[in-house]
Amino acid sequence: MTKMKNRATKYLLFSLLGTLFLGCTDLEEKPVGILAPESLFKTPKDVQTAIFGAYGWIATERLYGRQFVTALLLRSDMADIGDRGTPAERQQVNDFNMDDNNNMVKVFWPYWYQVISSANAAISGAEALKLPENEGNPLIAEARFIRAFSYYHLVRTFGDIPYIDRFITDPNSVKEISKTPAATVYQNIIADLQFAKQWLPDQQPNSVRSRASKGTATSYLASVYLTMADYQKSYTEAKFVIDNEAKFGYGLVADFQDLFRAPEPNNLKEHIFAIDFLGQQNGGGGANDDIMPPMTGVRGGDAPRSGWSVAVPSMAVYNTWDSRDYRKQVSFTDSLLIKGILQPYTVFDNTKRPHIAKYARYAGNSNAEGRYSDHNYAAMRYAEVLLIAAEALAETSNGSNPESIGYLNRIRARARNRAGKQTNFPEDVAAGLGKDAFIDLVMEERRLELAFEYHRWYDIKRRKLGEKAFKGSNALEPHANFDANRDYLMPLPRVELQVNPNLAPQNPGY
Amino acid sequence: MKRYFYLKSRSPHRLMVSVLCQFLYLGLLSAMSYARPLDVSVGGTVMGTDNNAPLPGVSVVVKGTGQGTTTNTSGEFKLNVPSPASVLVFSFVGYLSQEVTVGNRQIIDIRLEADVKALSEVVVVGYGTVKKSDITGSVSSVSAEEMTAYPATGAVQALQGRAAGVQIQANNGEPGAAYKVRIRGGTSINASSDPIYVVDGFVGGAIPPPEDIASLEVLKDASATAIYGSRGANGVIMITTKRGKTGKPRIELNTSISSQNEINRLDLLSPTQFVTYIKEARPTYVTPGASTDWQDQIFRTGGIQNHQLSISGGSDAVSYYLSGALYDQKGVILNSGFKRFSITSNVEVKANSKLKIGLNLFAQRNSKQQAYTQEGSGGLTPGVVASAFKFEPDQAIRDPQTGRFTISRVNDPTDNPYAIATQLQNESVNDRVQGNLFAEYDIIDHLKFRTTLGATTNSGRSGYFAPTTLNVGRSVGGEASVNGSKSTQLLNENYLTYSRVFGGIHDFSLMGGYSYQSSSSESWGGTGQSFITDAVSYWNLDGSSVWQSPNSSLVESQIKSFYSRLNYSLLDRYLFTANIRRDGSSNFSRNNKFATFPSGAFAWKMSNEPFMQNSNLISQWKWRVSYGLTGNQAIAPYQTLARFSNVFTVIDGVPVNAVRPTTVANDDLTWETTAQFDVGTDISLFKNRINLVLDYYRMVTRDLLFSVQLPQYSGYATQLQNIGSVENKGFEFTINTRNLVGDLKWNTDFNFSMNRNKVLTLPGGTDLEYSASPGHLVGLGSTHILREGYPVGSFLGWIYDGVYQEGDDFLPGGGFERTPGGEKYRDINGKDAQGNLTGQPDGKLNSDDRTIVGNPNPKFIWGLNNELSYKGFDLNVFFQGSQGNDILSYSLMELNLLAGNNNATTEALNRWTPANTNTNVPKASAGRSRRVSTRWIYNGSYVRLKNLALGYNFPSALTQKLGMTKLRLYASAQNILTFTKYPGYDPEVNYASSGATDSNRNLGLDYGSYPNAKSYTVGLNIGF
Repeated sequence: MTKMKNRATKYLLFSLLGTLFLGCTDLEEKPVGILAPESLFKTPKDVQTAIFGAYGWIATERLYGRQFVTALLLRSDMADIGDRGTPAERQQVNDFNMDDNNNMVKVFWPYWYQVISSANAAISGAEALKLPENEGNPLIAEARFIRAFSYYHLVRTFGDIPYIDRFITDPNSVKEISKTPAATVYQNIIADLQFAKQWLPDQQPNSVRSRASKGTATSYLASVYLTMADYQKSYTEAKFVIDNEAKFGYGLVADFQDLFRAPEPNNLKEHIFAIDFLGQQNGGGGANDDIMPPMTGVRGGDAPRSGWSVAVPSMAVYNTWDSRDYRKQVSFTDSLLIKGILQPYTVFDNTKRPHIAKYARYAGNSNAEGRYSDHNYAAMRYAEVLLIAAEALAETSNGSNPESIGYLNRIRARARNRAGKQTNFPEDVAAGLGKDAFIDLVMEERRLELAFEYHRWYDIKRRKLGEKAFKGSNALEPHANFDANRDYLMPLPRVELQVNPNLAPQNPGY
Repeated sequence: MKRYFYLKSRSPHRLMVSVLCQFLYLGLLSAMSYARPLDVSVGGTVMGTDNNAPLPGVSVVVKGTGQGTTTNTSGEFKLNVPSPASVLVFSFVGYLSQEVTVGNRQIIDIRLEADVKALSEVVVVGYGTVKKSDITGSVSSVSAEEMTAYPATGAVQALQGRAAGVQIQANNGEPGAAYKVRIRGGTSINASSDPIYVVDGFVGGAIPPPEDIASLEVLKDASATAIYGSRGANGVIMITTKRGKTGKPRIELNTSISSQNEINRLDLLSPTQFVTYIKEARPTYVTPGASTDWQDQIFRTGGIQNHQLSISGGSDAVSYYLSGALYDQKGVILNSGFKRFSITSNVEVKANSKLKIGLNLFAQRNSKQQAYTQEGSGGLTPGVVASAFKFEPDQAIRDPQTGRFTISRVNDPTDNPYAIATQLQNESVNDRVQGNLFAEYDIIDHLKFRTTLGATTNSGRSGYFAPTTLNVGRSVGGEASVNGSKSTQLLNENYLTYSRVFGGIHDFSLMGGYSYQSSSSESWGGTGQSFITDAVSYWNLDGSSVWQSPNSSLVESQIKSFYSRLNYSLLDRYLFTANIRRDGSSNFSRNNKFATFPSGAFAWKMSNEPFMQNSNLISQWKWRVSYGLTGNQAIAPYQTLARFSNVFTVIDGVPVNAVRPTTVANDDLTWETTAQFDVGTDISLFKNRINLVLDYYRMVTRDLLFSVQLPQYSGYATQLQNIGSVENKGFEFTINTRNLVGDLKWNTDFNFSMNRNKVLTLPGGTDLEYSASPGHLVGLGSTHILREGYPVGSFLGWIYDGVYQEGDDFLPGGGFERTPGGEKYRDINGKDAQGNLTGQPDGKLNSDDRTIVGNPNPKFIWGLNNELSYKGFDLNVFFQGSQGNDILSYSLMELNLLAGNNNATTEALNRWTPANTNTNVPKASAGRSRRVSTRWIYNGSYVRLKNLALGYNFPSALTQKLGMTKLRLYASAQNILTFTKYPGYDPEVNYASSGATDSNRNLGLDYGSYPNAKSYTVGLNIGF
């Protein structure tokens, strides 16, 4: 009997042991510390995190930290390859012999669409919350601004592109779409910006410039219309910004150098839209990784102004720029400490040309060579709005007038402030210039005022200046093989056409 | 012994060492008191009938008591028995046991009959054991002797070259570095192809040190692995640790000391040659005029101390095995090393005639001091080895003016290799504690129940510090990070086994059970920059003034399973095996939590048929055939779920909460399934003097867990889907021969494996390019391609056609040279007006002209082991090799690009100059772009003398005087000879090949790895 009981106890023990763990799980995953989309957007603040994510993803190595902006810089006539030991992909972008497998395009293309995806997620999240209009629409407006900003870059770079304006949860649902014509993309950009203009506040909290405001959206509307050569609308929008400059908190900073002295204030009045990098912080996945200082810095120079001499202007850019112009001094490094001794560019180690100074000279709190800089880069600044207004007005009023000249002279007056000391160069623009002459003057002013700020290539493309800029007798950076039928657009990444053949045809010539 | 430990041990180990020593000491005391003197003394010699040689190690036990001993090296034994009526049982592996009544004899000489017929060794398979002769699947066994032939970082290293179909590669030669194991090739592309390890029945248990391993089995075909279902596709390595044997306590001490040096060096340019070369690329270069051999500066003579002390024994009721092992390696690069210290306790108790209970305990500490190599990107901190190759030889260690470490003057301002080796701190400590409890109960005759409960936990900490003495640390005021991790696994298995022979001819065994396994892993860490002083290393993160984002994570998963196996043997001639396992896994998508993995095998013991019974030639001949399905669920948990990820975003100067969508859900994702067919034969000839095993297999892995390229405009990069298939097929051959069996014995083991890996289908049939290269070698773009019909890991690049000469037509192309002495590439493809590739040259060079330029998979691999012994002497010669694999050398690409960015190998002396035009080496040119091409693809075949050992067993006359049962002294050398045409420094390369996806796709890449070492070892094996 006891034996039986013992045995029974033993069986019970074993089966207990056995079943101890079985059945206490249904194999459903209950992740902790993972952000699941279905539960993420519960409050407006959650929507805000996706909007912030989109901003943050613009401040990445792939976009404003290096790849995308370097491609724009090299494509223009204002920066050439310095060290020819730099990767072929950069030389190909610069030399107009890229193919559809170019690695720069391959790496920045997906990032723009990831920014758009984040903006779309925020929009869908905000809509799902069914907030009152005055609470929900400003959120949607901010996200739509970011979407417009991204597509504006994409459409200028690639022309017809796939256009996505909803949050994708099943990528296969867009696997077979065709490209959207550039004209339609522009219409969508304008719709987004108009919505943003309507619903965004005049200023963001603390007047911070890395978030879009009503002024930001309006300024971009002016820029988009200018690109579309709709000068009347461009002028109207620019004028709206200028008329409201006090309300929006806009103005020109007194010293041109202060635009490029990290850490720039987060509410710098000249910034219309700033891409904010925080010094010495590695955000992971390329986030917050600004590499423009070393990309433009001098190879062999003493830290922290040393770099890799990748994007270096041709000598002509330096030589043709009047040395009395303070902006030339701010824009160029023509001498540098090398092993403790100040050396002219003629004895620089690698590339014996003056280098771009706007990024490397005052990178602020940063890593060796200025990486992980503390810059807030101006994607657009108020000087550009003035220039847009001047150009658009000249187009619509068939020549210069006091108003358009006035805009230019505001910029020139600021340039005469040489770090607190007033000079008399550049002098004011005289009255009486004809339309073409004045517009040439504005384009030249844009080239110098906004030098190395990634606008020149778009100006060349917009005004179809390529033949002159690269093949003309006064070409700053001659490229005999520039082909206007091919080179105003970059090729879509080959892999995208492989995954979705409906994206064909590839841009001409690739 | 004890003194040694105290002298050599540094503080972290001291406590454990002292505990171990006392533990062993107490064990010894108690065991000695237990061995009380008995009444009758007998002794004698045990010989084998097969060769008339004394048999050492034969177990001699007094029947029914558990008292016993083993024979010494001369086959002699001596023991006391309670009475003349006592019966002695002599048993030894490979021989038939014999029982002898003592009677009045004092000397009993015994001749044991070799067990020719059965090879009665048992082999451990999943949830049971099988007689070797009854195996129906493909299983390779590796013996304890082979595992300990030379000092090894761990058991996996010791397995290299030992088993057919098993490829083991060092990830690099770093002390303590992990090894990559492939059983019959890589079965996947994105999921891990690592086998699973089952240690004493614990799936995923800690791998014990080689010295504590009794046997190791590699399960290869589906009939053997399917019992592990969704984790069996990559093969299973079954490890059994040592147990106590009945008899008086046995103490064993195994100790060895090795001296190590780097296996090879590169021939680099001398300072003078370097200056001449660099001035051709950079005419304004001014040399500082120093002279430093950087390889001299970073390499040193390293060494290994490897010690193990064990005590084992047992009675009828209790058996025990206690062991402590210490492996202490000083790396051949300054400031690198690895220490492994472990204790093992295996105790089994027979509670009564029906119940057996056992507990295995294992604790191990690994500490590693890493030299910085295997860098993902050598930006400002290149790896020590890569830097020793490329750093300018005309610079001194310190700048004579500033007194600081020198910095490269020709390219990126990187620190010199000596500075990196001595200043950078990179350390990790891992503690593993594991317990595995089992109970086995004979419920009724033939029916057994076994239950196990195991828990293993692994805690790790790694620390990193770049002080301000380094360029990289100086710019940020010093950088430090500390990361912690902790993982826990629980496993409970329960199964019943029913075994019975019916009617003398139907041998029947049925096993069935269920298991539950859960695992969780945590990690956390922080990084800080800018410290008050370098002295705080990484132990004062709170003292940093620039904080980087901290991190933490938790991952949990569960598997529950049901499994069963039927073995049926008819007339000991026809063997059938059927397995089935049903697994449910939390890792998989909500629509596919469970799957079933069946397999079956049939074997025919042809030699047991009447017509072959009495063959003198053939002792055994068996045919095997098997087919089955196994799975691979080795993707990370939560991967089927959609998710948002954090984005580091700054608003108004401060980081804010920010996210973006990164992953889309896949509700239907399931495991990869590998269908494997295997046919093989086992043949033993001339009374087992020759044993042959041949296998052919074909595995097709379908439903590959594939990161399918999504349209990137969707905002997502890839999505895991079950698409595509990969094939591995091959042939394996093992032969063991006993060539000489007299006084002079000579055994040879040879194994040979060839595997052919091929991608069968890819999503949409489209090629998939990917990149795997050091990040600072910018501009390479895609370096690899996955293409249907070609092996995984194929290199993608241009065809190098040598050097342009004066008067050649220069092909145009962005970034391609167009001058005499420049690199010349072949134009092989172009596009038509519609943008389609034509396969015809188009007169220009671009990415269309790339093609598959190399295959890193070997045509075959092999191992050849020869053992000779004569009287007390033994000699072991072990060769291992790989044939027909290509290597893509990023090291040589960086060095010999000749763009004036760094030092070069002596190949640069043959560079093109107007005076030296008949060459394949281009001229020095500062603007040259890097690209993958046939110029950097090399034949990586090699033959390596892995081990050469000479040992001497001291005669028992001497050892007995010393109170020992065994005393062996040996000297050995590892990796002293390598035959290869590879111009890099070591053909055993594995850059960027860790992690599930990378280890499948990134093969045969070489970049600045920690070198393998050649070693000279002396050692002692002592038994008491």
